Amino acid sequence: MKQISKKSALLIGGFLALAGNSVLYAASQPMSGEQIIQKRCMDCHSETGNPSLPYSRISEQRKTPEGWQMTIQRMVSIHEAKMSADERKQVHKFLSDTQGLAPSETTALRYGLERDGNLLENNDPAYAEMCARCHSGARFGLQRRTEEEWSLLVQFHMGQIPTLELHSLARDRPWFDLAMNQVVPKLAQDYPFESAAWKSWQAADKPTFEHDWAITGYIPGKGDFDALMQVRAKGGDLYGLQVIGQYADGTPLTGSGQAITYTGYEWRASLTLDGIKMRQILAANEQGTRMQGRLFMAEANELGAAMVAQRAAKGDHAVTGVMPSHIRQGARQEITIVGVGLKGTPALGKGLRIVKTLSAGANRIRLLVEAEKDAAVGLRDVAVGKAQAPAALAVYDKVARVDVVPGESVARVGGNGTPIAKAKSAYRAVGYAAGADGKPGTEDDVRLGYMPATWSLKPFDETAKEDNDLKYAGAIDANGVFVPGDAGPNPERKMSTNNVGNLNVVGTVDDAGNKVSGEGHLLVTVQHFVRASVL
Amino acid sequence: MKTKKRAVRALLALAGVGVILSGCHGNVKQAATTAPHEYLLTVTRPNQLQVIDTQTNSITRSCDVPGYFGAGSIAMSPDGRIAYVLSNKWEDIYGFDITDCKMVFSAKQSSSDVIVKTFFSLAVSPDGKELYTVQNPVRELDDRYEVMQPQLAVFDTTAGLDVQQSRSWPVDRRITKIATMDNGEVVLGGADLKAIDPRTGTVRVISKLQNWERGARWLTPDAFAVSSQGEHVGEYIMAYVTAEFKDDSMNFETADWWWGMSRVDLKSGAVEQMETVPFQFIVFSWVSDPHDSNIIYGAFNTLSKHNIKEKKTLAVTDMDHTYYTINMTSDGSTLYVGGTSSDISVHDPETLKKIGSIQLPGDMSTADMRLVRLQE
Repeated sequence: MKQISKKSALLIGGFLALAGNSVLYAASQPMSGEQIIQKRCMDCHSETGNPSLPYSRISEQRKTPEGWQMTIQRMVSIHEAKMSADERKQVHKFLSDTQGLAPSETTALRYGLERDGNLLENNDPAYAEMCARCHSGARFGLQRRTEEEWSLLVQFHMGQIPTLELHSLARDRPWFDLAMNQVVPKLAQDYPFESAAWKSWQAADKPTFEHDWAITGYIPGKGDFDALMQVRAKGGDLYGLQVIGQYADGTPLTGSGQAITYTGYEWRASLTLDGIKMRQILAANEQGTRMQGRLFMAEANELGAAMVAQRAAKGDHAVTGVMPSHIRQGARQEITIVGVGLKGTPALGKGLRIVKTLSAGANRIRLLVEAEKDAAVGLRDVAVGKAQAPAALAVYDKVARVDVVPGESVARVGGNGTPIAKAKSAYRAVGYAAGADGKPGTEDDVRLGYMPATWSLKPFDETAKEDNDLKYAGAIDANGVFVPGDAGPNPERKMSTNNVGNLNVVGTVDDAGNKVSGEGHLLVTVQHFVRASVL
Repeated sequence: MKTKKRAVRALLALAGVGVILSGCHGNVKQAATTAPHEYLLTVTRPNQLQVIDTQTNSITRSCDVPGYFGAGSIAMSPDGRIAYVLSNKWEDIYGFDITDCKMVFSAKQSSSDVIVKTFFSLAVSPDGKELYTVQNPVRELDDRYEVMQPQLAVFDTTAGLDVQQSRSWPVDRRITKIATMDNGEVVLGGADLKAIDPRTGTVRVISKLQNWERGARWLTPDAFAVSSQGEHVGEYIMAYVTAEFKDDSMNFETADWWWGMSRVDLKSGAVEQMETVPFQFIVFSWVSDPHDSNIIYGAFNTLSKHNIKEKKTLAVTDMDHTYYTINMTSDGSTLYVGGTSSDISVHDPETLKKIGSIQLPGDMSTADMRLVRLQE
């Protein structure tokens, strides 16, 4: 941990001789992750002699791949751990595989890994006041530690970020005693090092990923797409992948890249899609038949959307998408069903008639569909042979309500000659029919899915209006992508404030001439100066 | 809440302010040697002690401080000649003769295996022979940190450079500003205001804050001080925010929100605690008027003047940007508002009108703005 540890100082005399051996060893036989830990980390950490928890500190924690990435990065950048890039990868893989989280232990907090910051958390007050006043709830909720390790994490904070003692909720209460005596035991109970889920996942057969996958997703500024992702094993849980597909309007989409899996289910891919460098952070279900997560831009993590990959092995069948997911009473329109193993006549439910099958394949069926004028408003199950998707297609009378998603969002000023780029934000409009009660905004509203919209901004409140946030904070384009203003104090503004702002994003859906709008709240704020792999 | 929002915005705006590198000693001239007068001292980035003549409102001397900036807290010797500056990320202390920038004292508080941070806590004994800091140590073991007991450390100011502490006494966590009283005790600005006798380590409570006994209708106060407040009149001020609830439901929306302060007369040791004025806008630092202790001034996004006996705000003026700290001449003729950026705004206490500006070669950030009368 120290810049030159006691052990390092003692070992310096023998370093040159050892280095020679190390090079020879590396050339003849690459070290395993565990061997690298033994060789590179024991200057500061120590071997405990306990075979089940062999290394001090290291062995009493479990983390996600991103969590371990942050730890290893900190060891290298702050504590001067000497590891080559390859060695870091090996250690990262080893720790993620052997000291990870079970699939069920990550389910509720995956946004922390998927880098989707536009949601509101509802943390337990004990955590909200202590840990989540700076971190997301996912930051600590995606770790598992022994009680002693949670306690050492508190001590670490005073060692590395001592001014936390001056925060509100630290300076005004006995925070250290509360952290050690109340929050640490709670963390150890809520996020324990040992768990039945992890034991069970360690023992389980892990799925393989070398399949074709039917993927659906959305690229901000481009639109919905569906594609086939061919995954081929390259050894060591590494995979090559090829993507061939199309956007909803039929424009072709191709891409390629590579992926690695951790812990038997955590899929991390870097790929170029349609010329854009993107990343997939997905989790496979325990059977390995489906992966879900987020696809986002490598250079602008905030621009992304949910993505699903359905395994397309022999005998697999599933409907993964219906585009568009709504049809108006009396309308005749094209509808595309995407999925896996699509064989047979599609069934769309009562009041919907297939006028013509435009094309049909195992992964994609295009239909011309007509809705009866008096077709009941509501959701229909869609089935193609054995492949079924419940409540996948909505019949509606009119759009009665529009929600803008995300409902709460943050964009950040940037650029303007500074090292941190602008953090944009992207919006979509979700339409609803009013349902049986005829009133929008009630429980029986029928979700119609994403709808095309026009976009505008307005001040969130009187203060925003008075400060002219609309002029300075940024602009939204026709695709619903908001681009914030330039970084730095702005002498034109009161007190030379940055181009921050408090805005409403207005999405307007044109429903056969009837314009229906919804609003989302956007805070435009300063840069994210501390970036972390787990939000 | 509009004002609160503006305060936050101003803070955010400052995040983007760049550091203006100073020219070294660019505006040096010899200090006046005939009559004693007052100097304003502050620290600017990258790390210079600035000695400002209050007669001309210009920089007399710039002293280079070793190490990285942080936090710019200053304590003065009683004769006004030696300025002790907290430097190097809140760890080291350097003492300078402000008449010639000669370094006469230095102490590194951290050692090979213990990181020591001082949260603005610097004070000098009434006889000038001892310097006090509150240390927040963390032991750095091979693979873990160990949080240690904070302590009041005592340094011999006559021991020269690279001084080791001569003794220490355990104190509470969360202590920021400290000050010495004429009886030799050191006021500790922590959860409660306490006083420690640095000769014996005996600690006594002088004004309860976190543990005050005001009943459930009063919110436990949030007390916080970064800057020294009150030296021009021999005071120590620890300001706080609290709320008086209408009923036992403890509804924050309907509660009466108050500024308050614990104010210590450093000469007599007398302590008073009171709600001062309703909370209408954020104030980061306060000072009392030398002619009337019922009149106080506050600074942040605004400069304001209040009568605390009548609990009234007398005047408010908007500032050009956020300022953390405020001080005034001991004759009460001039207000100085500084901190955060690279200028000190000069104001008339009567009208609050801006009457001048002192441009500095770098950002003050959290630095103190101390007023001294140099005995020349």
